[in-house]
Amino acid sequence: MVEQSLEFCNIVKSFPGVKALKGISFRAEGGRICALMGENGAGKSTLLKILSGDIQPDEGCLKINGEEHHFLSPHQSIKSSVSVIYQERQLVPSLSVMENIFLEDMPVGKLGFINMTELRSKTQEILDTFGLPIAPTDTVGWLSVAYQQMVEIMKAYRRDSNIIAFDEPTAPLTDKEITILFSLIKKLKEKGKVILYVSHRMAEIFQISDDIVVLKDGSLVKTLLTSQTNEGELVKAMVGRDIGDTYANLKRNDKIGDVLLEVNNLVTDYVDNVSFKLHKGEVLGFAGLIGAGRTEVMRAIFGADPIRSGEIRLEGKPVRFKSPSEAVASGIALCPEDRKEQGLVLKRSITDNVSIPVLSKVKKGLFLSRKTENDMAMNAVRKYSIKTPSADKQVMQLSGGNQQKVILGRWTSEKMATKILILDEPTKGIDVGTKAEVYQMVCDFAKQGIGVIFISSELTEVLNVCDNIIVMHNRHITGMLTREEATEELVLQLAMKD
Amino acid sequence: MEKSNRLKKILASKEFSLFILLVIVVAFYGVASPNGSFLKTRNIRSILDSMTIYTLFAVGGGLVIISGKIDLSPSYVGAVCGVLLAKLLDQGLPWYLVVPICLAVGAAFGLLNAVLINEFNIQSFIATLTTGTFIAQGLVYLIPAGVTYQIKDPVVIWYSTGKIFGFIPITMVISILIIVIFGIVLAKTKFGRSVYLIGGNANAARLAGLKPKKLSYIIFAYSGALGALAGMLYAGRLKSGSLVGTVSYGFPAVTAAILGGISLGGGTGNMLGCFLGLLIINSFNNGLMLMGLKPYWQTVASGVLLLIALTIDYFSTRERKIKLTGSI
Ligand SMILES: Nc1ncnc2c1ncn2[C@@H]1O[C@H](COP(=O)(O)OP(=O)(O)OP(=O)(O)O)[C@@H](O)[C@H]1O
Ligand SMILES: [Mg+2]
Repeated sequence: MVEQSLEFCNIVKSFPGVKALKGISFRAEGGRICALMGENGAGKSTLLKILSGDIQPDEGCLKINGEEHHFLSPHQSIKSSVSVIYQERQLVPSLSVMENIFLEDMPVGKLGFINMTELRSKTQEILDTFGLPIAPTDTVGWLSVAYQQMVEIMKAYRRDSNIIAFDEPTAPLTDKEITILFSLIKKLKEKGKVILYVSHRMAEIFQISDDIVVLKDGSLVKTLLTSQTNEGELVKAMVGRDIGDTYANLKRNDKIGDVLLEVNNLVTDYVDNVSFKLHKGEVLGFAGLIGAGRTEVMRAIFGADPIRSGEIRLEGKPVRFKSPSEAVASGIALCPEDRKEQGLVLKRSITDNVSIPVLSKVKKGLFLSRKTENDMAMNAVRKYSIKTPSADKQVMQLSGGNQQKVILGRWTSEKMATKILILDEPTKGIDVGTKAEVYQMVCDFAKQGIGVIFISSELTEVLNVCDNIIVMHNRHITGMLTREEATEELVLQLAMKD
Repeated sequence: MEKSNRLKKILASKEFSLFILLVIVVAFYGVASPNGSFLKTRNIRSILDSMTIYTLFAVGGGLVIISGKIDLSPSYVGAVCGVLLAKLLDQGLPWYLVVPICLAVGAAFGLLNAVLINEFNIQSFIATLTTGTFIAQGLVYLIPAGVTYQIKDPVVIWYSTGKIFGFIPITMVISILIIVIFGIVLAKTKFGRSVYLIGGNANAARLAGLKPKKLSYIIFAYSGALGALAGMLYAGRLKSGSLVGTVSYGFPAVTAAILGGISLGGGTGNMLGCFLGLLIINSFNNGLMLMGLKPYWQTVASGVLLLIALTIDYFSTRERKIKLTGSI
């Protein structure tokens, strides 16, 4: 077998107003998993986009198995046996799972028609390898974010490329899928493939990688052997300073107040018989596997999905919001999990995105006050250290994690007059430094008497930040634990209990 | 620092490249037209005058495109409202009733479009094409029932053909007022911002507390009413309800809006660009006429102009991007 290798040689890339990569050189070997780490906007995704031929470097070249490439088109990249799984999904939502997986390489019969039977059986084979409960003919747009992500991964797996790069593949996944994914990645590694792996989840990096390359502001600051380093050293290389123990340093709220939100026997098309209470100043976690119905409960409360039956009381008064705008007017904020589809208006600026729910409050007479809006946006930029030259920048041009920070900025602005803050996967794609800020922000909200609902697929996060944890499985609640009694095992047991 | 930044922004804007294109078109005809007739006051006024109807359609059409949909019906709605105006006036109704009735009919067509799009989930292209070419076009023939009605109402004739200070057509004032008002509304008000946001991502806008459905009804109603207004001004100018009416005005107006930077994807563009687009297309066609080109060649030529403009825009934005690179 030929030894596979991939080398980046002095890669430079600029975007308007930003030098994203300032001369990156490193080499990744076949049969090893190389993790790319760095804060949001460090340049990780940009590097991978150059590898996939999506964008061209201003300077420098790539060496694939020793062969030099100064210019790589997406086509040439695939030809050179490279697959990149992007941070933002690149699926065609209106097509089926099988059509997406075999998009550029459909099995064709004699007459040039697509051979549907073969397409279906080949896809089923891949689905079985991954052990996923979806059908080849399911429309991708109807799948949950996590399953869409798995389809994206299967697409790359199907190509059987020699070089595979994963850009935050686990961001929307829960433990069960991550286990499947990791066992597959390890198989690929054994086959001698070159694997690049980007993630902001520390534990994962130590679980799966062999080498770690750390980027900061577009430069390579350190390469480490995973076996010879630890989390502290890695974080310090990324952030440039010690951040200490995130969870131990958290200043929590210790005064939990009256009942704020009461949900009784809620039934919708997606959830069965859900009841719970949220108190003032409480941080209530929701854990569970993909498809457990956590997001769907919140959408129903928020007026985004219709409710079949059940009762919702806000501060004792029965409410039933017919649209999100009514919920927002009553002081409920929901920060959605899917930033690209449900969260952001990518073509518009940071400012425009931050002010949406409070447009009525930034009016001065008939007109919107650009200054007030700008101040709001700059507040968000500072609070979450969003990496951007100005608040006028189109959100599309920000890195994934920075986009996530824009949504957080929108829903946590002071102008919101929030009573209940619902965060659905708020730290998805956010770097370690800012994650600590987000946890503290959650606790600060609780101290102000706001009720916070915190949904996350990252169990450690839920266990450490929340006061109480509700676990869901298969559309209903299977149990509730306090922070003191909750352990990873207990939560997982409940998450699989019928 | 602040000032030079602002200057940089202006120079880098789409509107600036459109302005340059306009200057090129004007300079070319200034030299190339016979005896420099292009730059004569009379000709300039005739360009501006011919823009009136297009402007109204471009504002309505542009508004809808920014919101992420398309409206192909207003030029047909204009034709209906033109004959309706003539017929109702002929039957002795006073202008102050007829004009609001026609505007309301236009808005009703818009609401019909909005119902088809929002409640029946029909794509805007199909929905508005249907209301335009079948329903509106059908009514154009049904309303007058073979009779051509002359418009004799002095008020209608006054605002359709009169001139302020003897040289500024009132219709021109109306259309410029409309485009300025909508320009300000889009840029400065909550409604305007919402139009951009639902055009950019309706789902996200809804989850952030806006009401895309309600907005869509308002936007289409505006587009229909603007179509009606255009149709009434057109009929007033001709002093009769014409069967063909404004039908041929719809497509060039939308073209001008797109040329002006209101992209079909929704969520971007503005009325200043739209106005420049209108100026460019109208000057261009006027010049061709002065130089004696046959009308159908004019159509071909404006197609070519659109292609050139889009290409220049593509390259100039690319170049600007390269130049601005690396300042951090
Ligand atoms: N199309 C673009 N136009 C302008 N700037 C861009 C564009 N794409 C990326 N950038 C900028 O390049 C820098 C690096 O972005 P990149 O997406 O590579 O970061 P990242 O390391 O992947 O971050 P994250 O962890 O948030 O995903 C950022 O400052 C970003 O704003
Ligand atoms: Mg990234």
